[in-house]
Amino acid sequence: MKTISKLIVALVALVSLNSCGYNTMTEKEEAVNKAWSNVENQYQRRSDLIPNLVNTVKGYAQHEESTLTAVLEARSKATQITVNADDLTPEKLKEYQAAQGQVTSALGKLLAITEAYPDLKANENFKELQAQLEGTENRISVERRNFNEVVGEYNTYIRKFPQNIMANIFGFEKRAYFEAEAGTEKAPKVEF
Amino acid sequence: MKHLISCLLIALSFTLAQPVWGKEYKPEEIPMVHLQDRTRYVSNPDGILSNETVNRIDNILYALEQKNGIETLVVAVEEIEGGDCFEFAYQLGKQHGVGKKGADNGLVILLVRKERCVQFLTGYGIEGDLPDAICKRIQEQTMFPLFRQGLWDKGMLEGITAVNTYLTDYDGWQASQQQAGEDEGLTIAFTAFFAMMLLFLIIGYLSDRKARRCPHCKKSGLSRSDSRLISNRNGIKTNEVIYRCRHCGHTVVKQEQEEDDNHTSFGGGSLGGPFIFGGGRGTSFGGGGGFSGGSFGGGSFGGGGAGGRF
Repeated sequence: MKTISKLIVALVALVSLNSCGYNTMTEKEEAVNKAWSNVENQYQRRSDLIPNLVNTVKGYAQHEESTLTAVLEARSKATQITVNADDLTPEKLKEYQAAQGQVTSALGKLLAITEAYPDLKANENFKELQAQLEGTENRISVERRNFNEVVGEYNTYIRKFPQNIMANIFGFEKRAYFEAEAGTEKAPKVEF
Repeated sequence: MKHLISCLLIALSFTLAQPVWGKEYKPEEIPMVHLQDRTRYVSNPDGILSNETVNRIDNILYALEQKNGIETLVVAVEEIEGGDCFEFAYQLGKQHGVGKKGADNGLVILLVRKERCVQFLTGYGIEGDLPDAICKRIQEQTMFPLFRQGLWDKGMLEGITAVNTYLTDYDGWQASQQQAGEDEGLTIAFTAFFAMMLLFLIIGYLSDRKARRCPHCKKSGLSRSDSRLISNRNGIKTNEVIYRCRHCGHTVVKQEQEEDDNHTSFGGGSLGGPFIFGGGRGTSFGGGGGFSGGSFGGGSFGGGGAGGRF
């Protein structure tokens, strides 16, 4: 008799958890985490391209030491800031975004000065790096947008009734979005 | 009857006039010809490309899909809303789900004439097969120079041919790249080759003269008049050849050796048993006739590819 009543309780719990969307919440949260790791991957990809790019430019433009250093500094600062997907508070995301924005604008300046070096612009290696960098910037913007979409879905879901009660009990929290910041969005678009 | 003709005329004038008006397209307004006919991939609503080019590109891309499964969407339009070519290509790929789900092997190739831009967009799954740098190189080396001259058909066809070659015949692509870089080298190589040929001919002529020199009168007038076989051992024939000088009648006897043509050796391996032809790529054409509607499978894009302005 006792086992049967236990079974019933378990069954009821299962059904109610399902109906209140616990599983869906978990799925949506997982999607957010995945989208975040995609964003991080693309920023990482850009970060990996930088040393090679700087070295190539250095070979042709020795007098641009300060611009090159600025890029490397921005990069090393940005790599220090990593945000765990479970820990995506608005403040942390803002910090992350600001650091990456610094890299974007430093890169923009670097590419602007390369205009003055025709030999560099004709260099095959540089051309390929440029193409890769451009592709990476595109990927970053796609993944950021995708992240915002997924977070939007998740946030809306957990705040709806009756999921909001469950979300409170199990600690599903609202996640932060990427914001179209003045600093990053105004940075020169990498286009050649 | 009169009505019919005027109706037709009006319809005709509309279809003809459309390219002149230059519609600003939204990504969802681009006609998806592939959905009506799965052998077609080129959407050319403004008639920028000729029918012949469209057919040839369709053939290339159909073969590509049969071989690698890569689904391509080619769009050539006059004008787009917003004027952002990357964004437009991305929305095209995303909204229509170009590429197969899971494999994400879609490829979008966009030409917007007014923006003077070309954009390649590669699905997640083919970012490695067709890297951004290659897209860029194909655009800059092949397409842009032709587009700058207004050769839309040629530029598009050659660009897509280059993409196809890169994806299906990597060796051939590398060879074409080297050829492009070494055209000048080739001329030099040819000149050197002909110079060498000439040199050998001269040397040959001189040595021939020397060999025909008569030891008696010192003129080069020796000619072969008779020969007889002395021995034939291990396939080496030894002949005694008699030369007579045309000028003084002096005769010279030389022993010459040559390999016997009939003496064939079986030193190397012989050809093995019958060849079995098999293991070929079995191509199966799914679906019914060639004109059934196709579908894009819901591939997704991560912003790979490259673009630029010409």
